[in-house]
Amino acid sequence: MHVFPPIVLLAQAVSQDDIIREMGRLQRNYQFLSYGLIVAWLVLVVYVLMMASRERRLKREIANLKAMLEERQRK
Amino acid sequence: MRNKILYLLGTAAILILARNIYVISGLPGEEDQGAIFKIIFFHVPLAITALTCGTVACAASILFLVKKDFRYDALAVSVTEVGLAFLAGNLLTGSIWARIIWGVWWAWDVRLTSALVCWILYASYLMIRRAIEEPTQRATLAAVVSIFAFIDVPIVILSIRLFRTQHPGPVFFSSTGSFPHDWSMIMLWNLIAMFMLGAVFTMIRLGQEEAHREIEALRREAHAF
Repeated sequence: MHVFPPIVLLAQAVSQDDIIREMGRLQRNYQFLSYGLIVAWLVLVVYVLMMASRERRLKREIANLKAMLEERQRK
Repeated sequence: MRNKILYLLGTAAILILARNIYVISGLPGEEDQGAIFKIIFFHVPLAITALTCGTVACAASILFLVKKDFRYDALAVSVTEVGLAFLAGNLLTGSIWARIIWGVWWAWDVRLTSALVCWILYASYLMIRRAIEEPTQRATLAAVVSIFAFIDVPIVILSIRLFRTQHPGPVFFSSTGSFPHDWSMIMLWNLIAMFMLGAVFTMIRLGQEEAHREIEALRREAHAF
């Protein structure tokens, strides 16, 4: 990745369109890099949320089963 | 105590990863690829962690078949699920990189395809487990599937060395590529953090497997009444 100083650009006779295109490419590059980082974190966060919801469900199920067994023993 | 260690380990891993995002943002872009190249600092550690999970799952499955100890089955399922999440992250970050560099979201390249097949195989492992009720039968069949799925792991690793692929060649332990020392350290720290996260997730998942076994025992008790 090169960011040319203005004098070098002039010397190479780079047009305004080339500069705009290069700026656009740079911006797109950073935009997609941020998407990549967000996705990497998001996958892990979603997995943690899934585990947390399963944990709650399992605890509820154990509590319900224990309560049911205690009730049956009392009868 | 166990929970405290897990929280501590998880927090440390997140802090390392967050700090490294800041460090990575200050690095210059790679000469040909530009800033999108920096995705490698997450893409590769995600892949290494996922494939390590596959290896541990295979070892645990073999141990289950030999010793018939359900703790190994619990370890295999826990580590497989965690590895699947990491591999999903690896595939998605790779796809985002490919969109910029190759101009497409996906290419049926050997590396990409073998990684996708790996994800599908481990997803099938989890689906098979849901389909079988009887614990011994479920654990035995799942162990066989896990060992079979592991065949793909070395294919994923070696595909860029053995085949001509679009995927960039190896930059570590290779004569074709090189990585500056300070960049390697960032990569190493990210890898350590991912391993720590993987270990924390696996420990939590193992606890859930214990809870699952407790539920099955309570159900049997309820039926006996």
